[in-house]
Amino acid sequence: MADGRVDWLAPEALDEALALRAERGAEATVLAGGTFLGILMNERLLEPAALLSLGKVGGLEGIAVVDGELRLGAMTTHRAVERAPAVREGWPVLARAFSLVASPRVRNQATVGGVLADADYASDPPAVLEALGARVVLRSVRGEREVPVRELVVGHYETSIADDELLVEVRVPPCPARAVYRKFRSRSSEDRPCVGVAAVNGDRALRVVVGAVSDTPRELPEACALGVEAAAEIGHRYAGEIEPISDSRGSAAYRRRVIAVEVRRAVEALA
Amino acid sequence: MTLDLLLNGRPTALEAEPAETLLEVLRREAGLLSVRLTCGIGVCGACTVLLDGEPVSGCLLRAAQAAGREVTTLEGIPAEHPVRRAFAAEHAFQCGYCTPGMVLTSARLLEEIPDPSDEQIAEGLGGNLCRCGCYLKIRAAVRRAA
Amino acid sequence: MSGEVRYAQDVRLEGQWHAALVRSPVPHGRVRAIDVSKLPPDCVALLPEDVAGLGRYGCQLKDQEVLADPARFAGDVVAALAASTPEAAREAARLVEVEFEELPAVFDPVTAVAEGAPLLHPEAGAVREGAGSAPAGAIVPADDAVSIGVRPLAGTNVCHRFRLLHGDADAGLADADVVVDETYRTASAQHAPMEPHATAARWTADGRLELFTGTQTPFNLRADLAGLLGVDEEHIRVVAPPMGGSFGAKTFTRLEAVVACLARKAGRPVKAVLDRAEEWVTLNRHPAVIRVRIGAARDGTLVAKRLDCWVDTGAYADCGPGVATKLGYAGAGPYRIPNVRVDALAIYTNLPPNGAFRGYGAMQSVWASERAMDLLAARLGMSPLELRRRNLLRDGDRFATGEVMHDVHFEECLQAAADAVDYERDPHGKGLSVLLKGMQTPSRAAIAVERTPVGYVVRCASCEMGQGVRDSVRLQAAALLGCEPGQIEVPDPDTNSAPFDTRTTSSRSTYMMGRALEEAVRDLQTNGGGRGYGEIANEGGLDPDTGQGIASTHWHQGAAAAEVSVDEETGLVTVEHLHAAVYAGRVVDRAGAELQNEGSMIMGLGTALLESVDHADGQITNANLSDYNVPAAGDLPRRLTHDLIERDDAEPHGLGETALPPVPAAIGNALASLGLELTELPMTAERVLEAVDAAAPAEVGVRG
Repeated sequence: MADGRVDWLAPEALDEALALRAERGAEATVLAGGTFLGILMNERLLEPAALLSLGKVGGLEGIAVVDGELRLGAMTTHRAVERAPAVREGWPVLARAFSLVASPRVRNQATVGGVLADADYASDPPAVLEALGARVVLRSVRGEREVPVRELVVGHYETSIADDELLVEVRVPPCPARAVYRKFRSRSSEDRPCVGVAAVNGDRALRVVVGAVSDTPRELPEACALGVEAAAEIGHRYAGEIEPISDSRGSAAYRRRVIAVEVRRAVEALA
Repeated sequence: MTLDLLLNGRPTALEAEPAETLLEVLRREAGLLSVRLTCGIGVCGACTVLLDGEPVSGCLLRAAQAAGREVTTLEGIPAEHPVRRAFAAEHAFQCGYCTPGMVLTSARLLEEIPDPSDEQIAEGLGGNLCRCGCYLKIRAAVRRAA
Repeated sequence: MSGEVRYAQDVRLEGQWHAALVRSPVPHGRVRAIDVSKLPPDCVALLPEDVAGLGRYGCQLKDQEVLADPARFAGDVVAALAASTPEAAREAARLVEVEFEELPAVFDPVTAVAEGAPLLHPEAGAVREGAGSAPAGAIVPADDAVSIGVRPLAGTNVCHRFRLLHGDADAGLADADVVVDETYRTASAQHAPMEPHATAARWTADGRLELFTGTQTPFNLRADLAGLLGVDEEHIRVVAPPMGGSFGAKTFTRLEAVVACLARKAGRPVKAVLDRAEEWVTLNRHPAVIRVRIGAARDGTLVAKRLDCWVDTGAYADCGPGVATKLGYAGAGPYRIPNVRVDALAIYTNLPPNGAFRGYGAMQSVWASERAMDLLAARLGMSPLELRRRNLLRDGDRFATGEVMHDVHFEECLQAAADAVDYERDPHGKGLSVLLKGMQTPSRAAIAVERTPVGYVVRCASCEMGQGVRDSVRLQAAALLGCEPGQIEVPDPDTNSAPFDTRTTSSRSTYMMGRALEEAVRDLQTNGGGRGYGEIANEGGLDPDTGQGIASTHWHQGAAAAEVSVDEETGLVTVEHLHAAVYAGRVVDRAGAELQNEGSMIMGLGTALLESVDHADGQITNANLSDYNVPAAGDLPRRLTHDLIERDDAEPHGLGETALPPVPAAIGNALASLGLELTELPMTAERVLEAVDAAAPAEVGVRG
């Protein structure tokens, strides 16, 4: 483990945090809960000169429903999301997806903002948030913008967050009655997903997002346009078009097989 | 930096580098050796501490993140606590290395779910690994303490 | 309880510095140069010139240097650093630049014995035990190897060949009505003890070495280091605090040699605690390739068996010769077979060393042999249970080694396992497996008992690693001495005060130490009640060229049954019920016995379904507990049950490993009952799905 000597920046107000972010940019790594960053630092994959901790910033934690939309403060923990009555009642699929991440211990520390800003492919919430059409609020001293989750994660552990921006909130539109998340673990019950499938059948259309199989969550609107009755065909299309990665949880060839099965099962569950 | 926290019920000041893990600081500065390093990536639970009453991984938490907060280790759980007594009564340990994390996690689990099912116990303790494989007796201990 | 246990990693010696190891990034390479010019002044580096005058070490073949040159696997230690904090030591280690000249490498045991394979230890095999004085540079067997009779093959990567010849296997196979010929594979596994390897070393002013280290083998370690360092054994003291798990990982010489040398150079105590990833380059389990040929008469009577085993011991022999031997004779199985031929090779490869692992070779050959039994049953059109019953060893039968079996309980174990899953009513989705495993033979155990004002102190070298040996000794002593267990003090094993014990392995301590304790108490009672000493030896051993002799004076016997269901679209296996039935003799510590069974089964489950040390180009690719999964609470079978088959008047019986080896084969056989033939461990979802694809369409249906 590293010796822990860093420039520790712990602002207590958002303005102060944004000013520090503008001033230090990429040189100061943003620390939310620290479950992902903690691993990178322990493994010396990351040795930041400065850490900008959001732990003491007021107003970044909290769950609210505004005009039918769910608003999750960036520093809200996974545990808080899965336990919140408002989420369990209005967005049960989201509560479930957060409840499936790692262990209760990790979920007490991991945050909503962190899981998105890390862009870790082997994670559960991003696929569900994308399927629900969630957006993130990015703020900087320059102002504020909203970005769909679909456009946030742009590559392998890469996001479209600018060096002076902070992810401050996640906004989730009303949840359709039919929505499922299937987490497929190929090994231990404690393993990360080998394949994660979020499927939502809303007023407008079917959305299916497959996570944990490539750099970014994948969605194929043309396949989804076939509708819930074509579950098997949709599964085949996803399996055919995604180029899955190989890792300790499964080879690319195996993942293809599982994508076809799990997408089909997810869509069937919506019918 | 000086890390001020409420440690096992007592206001405590510890010397720490801000980005050291809380685990390292608790072992080195406070001599709390029940907090143990195994995986270093938050998957095993041997370093579990309660932060404001909730289990977290001492190996992932940076020391400075605990500033001003309440930290509880096994040393802060009295020996007569029902969970500790249940673990002893059910022989729910072999090498004992994972036991502090198991006890802390179980204690919090029972606060939340006073009478957990087997599935709830497996889910609640899922992130605490025991390589000796004491899971059946640990489950029995949680049930006994319920 | 638990929170107060102080492990080796918690040892703090006055003025201690901390060690970090410089490891080779290449799987095979000569050390050309080591540049330490960037090191800060406040650290000490241990370099090749510091250890040039030392010998080599190794528990069965002395083939290991304190600092390797050439490095024989990616992770081999080529230099070491000490500094005042662990972080400073690691930082310093990163500043050392080592230049390597890469050599060809080999990563597979079958390839490693092919013509023209790169040799890891070209000097191996030049000398055999008892061949008189060794030429300079030769690799010599360690004294401990006498019981094994190490047989390296000169000019190859074979560090030991074990053969067992009983009857005429080839003629028997030719005569058999039905013959199965199949090859099975097992993966390497990581012990993953929760506490990593930890060692602290201190030299006294008069040149004595003191070691505080997590070890199962304090006396073997002392002897090995004495030979390496050229000092008397009595000048080395090994203290073994309780271990946070070991399962074989903390056996023989691990960190102790390099830490001792570093402490001597630093002129102060030095402590090393491994990073988690380093565990995967310290010791793993032997992967094996095992070809089984087994033949039977039409009525199911076994006629002959041939076993060819390629056992990958990694870059150093460690106890690979012993593992190959035990794997070899255990592979004969708990059956009466008139013709048996076993040829087991322990083979060097450019991978991290493999060593003792709970089950010690038995798991590998039980996997192969018991899977082959079900295949044979299918070819015979016979129930796998019936085939086993018909051939099981019984009291008075001769085993393939020539020894007469006594206290035999295989049939009871098998029946109990079968009954637990209601096998005879419906074998669909169910599998059985039987295990025979030997105990360290020959071996010696001794124990000393002394009266104190409050009770007794019992000194022995049985090491506590969670298996409960301390409780077992305490309970047995209290019963024999007629006092409360609380009045019995059992200090940490210390070679300066505890009498000699071979080692804490092979589930021998309850049995051997228990008998030695009875002697010691008798001695105490007949000599005034103040002090008593007891010693027990079991004699035997096998001829490595014929496999004849006494393999074990005490047999571990068990069986497992599994019931599974399969998601045949994804290959995911759900173990509905796992049961193990083991012969326990007289139970000394019931909770401890149950914990050993349950823990063994759960570890067996990991071996069956989850665990594999993976590598690419000689580099381990899953050296962390996220990419390498060990069983968690949620991975337990829906039902996990077990029987201790007890006899009140019997001797106590070791139980530390018995329930592990039969588990993978029981699960594999349960899958086979569904038409899914798996030959390789672990049985990952991906491999099961391949088996689904390979199954004849007629056999595919609802499984489980």
